[in-house]
Amino acid sequence: MSLRTAVAHRNLLYLLTLKELRTRYRKSILGWAWSLLNPLSQMMIFSVIFLYVFKAEPPVGEKSGLEVFPLYFLSGLLPFQFFQISVTAAIGSVQGGASLIKKVAFPHEQLVLSIVFAQLITAGIELAVLAVAFLIFGHMVLPWLIPMLMLMALVTLFTTGVALFLSAANVFFHDINYLWGIGAQILFYSSPIIYVTSIIEVDALRTAINLGPTGAFVQASQNILYDGIWPSFARWTQVALYSVSVFAFGAWAFNRMSPRFAEEL
Amino acid sequence: MSDAVGSAGEIALRVDSVTKSFRIHSERANSLKQFIASGGRNRYEEFLALQDVSLDVQVGEAVGIIGHNGSGKSTLLKCMAKILTPESGTITVNKRMAALLELGAGFHPELSGRDNVFLNAAILGMARKEIADRFDEIVAFSGLEQFIDSPVKTYSSGMYVRLAFAVAINVDPDMLLIDEILAVGDISFQQKCMEKFVQFRNEGRTLVLVTHDSGSVRHFCDRAIWLDHGQIRASGPPADVIDEYNEVMLNADRAEDGSMRRGDGPVRVTGVEVLVGGVDAPSVRTGDDVVFRIRFEADKPVEQPVFALKIATLAGVEVTAPSTRDAGDVPDTVAGVGHVDLRVDALPLLPGPHVLHTEVTGWGRTHVFDHLQNARSFDVHAGDSPETDGLVTFRPSWTWTGDGVSQRRSTP
Repeated sequence: MSLRTAVAHRNLLYLLTLKELRTRYRKSILGWAWSLLNPLSQMMIFSVIFLYVFKAEPPVGEKSGLEVFPLYFLSGLLPFQFFQISVTAAIGSVQGGASLIKKVAFPHEQLVLSIVFAQLITAGIELAVLAVAFLIFGHMVLPWLIPMLMLMALVTLFTTGVALFLSAANVFFHDINYLWGIGAQILFYSSPIIYVTSIIEVDALRTAINLGPTGAFVQASQNILYDGIWPSFARWTQVALYSVSVFAFGAWAFNRMSPRFAEEL
Repeated sequence: MSDAVGSAGEIALRVDSVTKSFRIHSERANSLKQFIASGGRNRYEEFLALQDVSLDVQVGEAVGIIGHNGSGKSTLLKCMAKILTPESGTITVNKRMAALLELGAGFHPELSGRDNVFLNAAILGMARKEIADRFDEIVAFSGLEQFIDSPVKTYSSGMYVRLAFAVAINVDPDMLLIDEILAVGDISFQQKCMEKFVQFRNEGRTLVLVTHDSGSVRHFCDRAIWLDHGQIRASGPPADVIDEYNEVMLNADRAEDGSMRRGDGPVRVTGVEVLVGGVDAPSVRTGDDVVFRIRFEADKPVEQPVFALKIATLAGVEVTAPSTRDAGDVPDTVAGVGHVDLRVDALPLLPGPHVLHTEVTGWGRTHVFDHLQNARSFDVHAGDSPETDGLVTFRPSWTWTGDGVSQRRSTP
C-alpha cells in the first residue's frame, strides 16, 4: 500500500467504524440509550449479587479507602469486557466481509480495526458511567481517568493483535470461533475480576494469575480506578510488553494470511 | 505489443510473467479436527489459472480480454485489481486504478444512500474531501436525489445499481478495469453509462475490459487479447483476434460437440447454405432474393420440431430471428435427412459481415434439441439500396412539403 492509498483508507476506517456504531442500535426503540442502559443494568445486577447474594468481602481501596465490591468488580470488568466483546465481534468480521474482499482491493485489516474502535467508544461510555458511580460513592476518580486512558490504549493494542490473528485464522478454520468461546472463559476466570488475588492460597496459582496477560491489565485497571494509585512500574512494563508483542504478532500473522483471503473465502 | 493504437507510449499497467494457481480441495479441512486427522495436510490439486502471462497496457488504450469460461480472464483481472495475489511474477500499476467487478459491494442495507455513497467511495479508495466534493455529482448521476436519505434496503434493485454505478464511475480513475460491460438500469441509464465510458476513453484514459462478448470488444477496444487456458493465445487488432477466436471456438466445438453447440436432441443441423439463384454464395447483395437452407438429420422421428434461424451482424447485433413456429409451419414429425428453406425476397440487409445461428427446439421452445452458434457467416455487399447506415433498409421514400422548398434535384 502506497502512502496515498493508506491516507485514503484512513477515511475508510473512520467510515467503517461509524457504520458499526450506526447500525448497532438500528431497529431498537431506545437506540443509543442502550449503550448507557447496558452498563447501568450490569452495575445494578452485580451490586445486588455481590452485596446480598455472595456477600463478598470487599478489598479496601489502597488510597481511596473504598470498600464496595461491585465497584472493584466493575473496575476489572471494564477493560476485560472491551477485550472480550471486541475479539468475539471481530472473529467473524473477515468472513463477514467475504463479498467485499472478493470484489474490491482494500486493506482487509480495516474490517477488524473498525470493530475494535467501535467497541472502544462503547467502553468509553461505560467508563463515564462508572466514573459517575465512583463519584457517588465519594471517590474523586476524575484525575485517574488519564492513566486509565493510557492503559486503555495498551489494551486496545493487545485486543487488536488478538482480533487480527483470530479473525484471519477463522477464514481457514471455522472452529476458531468456538475455541475462542472457551479461551475467553479461561481468561475471564484466570483474571482477578470476581475475586481478589489475596484469597488464593496456592502460591503457584497466584503467580500464574499475576503473570497472565489479561490478569495484568485487569489489575492495573483496578489499581487506577478502585485503589486510586498508579500501577507499579513493573506492572506497566508487563502490560506494555504483552500489548506490543501480541499486536506485532497479530499484525504479522494477518498480513501473512490476508493475500489468500480472496480465494479461501 | 506494437499494435497499440493512439498510445502515448507510457505504460499504465504491466503484467510481467504472472502465474496464478488455485488449490482445489478434494476434501477441504474446514475444522481443526479434520485438519489434524489428515495429518496437518490439506489434500488438494493445483489448478493453473494463469501461466506466465505478460502484457503491457499503454496509457489511453482500451484493451479487451476475451476467452471462454475458465480461460483465466477473470483471474487475470482480479490479479490486476490486486484482489488476488499471484504466485510468481509482478503486476505494476502506474495509474490510479478502479475496478468495477461488482456494483454495490459493501453497501449496507440499513444505512442511507448518502452514508453508503461515502462508505462505498471510501472502499474504492477515495479520500473524504474528494467524496464530499463529488457528492452532488454522484447523486445527480444516479438520479436518486429524492431517495438519498432513505436506507438502501428500501431501494429497488435498479435504484441500487444506479447508485452503485454512479459512485464507481465518479471515483475518477485514470484506469478502469471492468468485468463485463455493465448492463444495469433502464435504457436511459444504460445510455448514460455508455456515454460515460466513451467520454472516459476520449479523455485518453485507460480501460481494460474482460468479457465473453466479443461484440463489445470489437466496438469498444483498440486491442483484443485472447486468453486460452491461462495463456495468451493472441493479441492484436480486435477484428483479427476475434475472428480467429470465433473460428477456433467453432471448429473445436464441431469436432468435440462442445459449448458452441448445445442441445440433447436427436435432430441436428448439419449445415446452412445461403443460396442466390440456387447457388451457395459466400456473399450476397442487398436486394437479392435469398434462400437460407438449413440441412438437418434426425436419428429418430422427432415430434413438432421448431426450426429458427437467427441473422446477426458480426458485432453480435441480432437483426432478425424467424422461426417455423412463428410462421405456423411446423410438421408433426421429422425423421431422417432433409432440409428446410427460409426464403427472403429482396433481402433488406445493408452491407456488412453477418453470421447465422440456428436452433431446433420442441414446440414449447424451451427444450433445445440443437443450438448451433455461428453456424456460418456470409457477407452482404452493396446492392439495390444506396443506404449505408443502420442494419436494414425499409426501402423508404421521402416526401417534401413547405412553401420554401425548392424544386428537388436528383442526386447521382
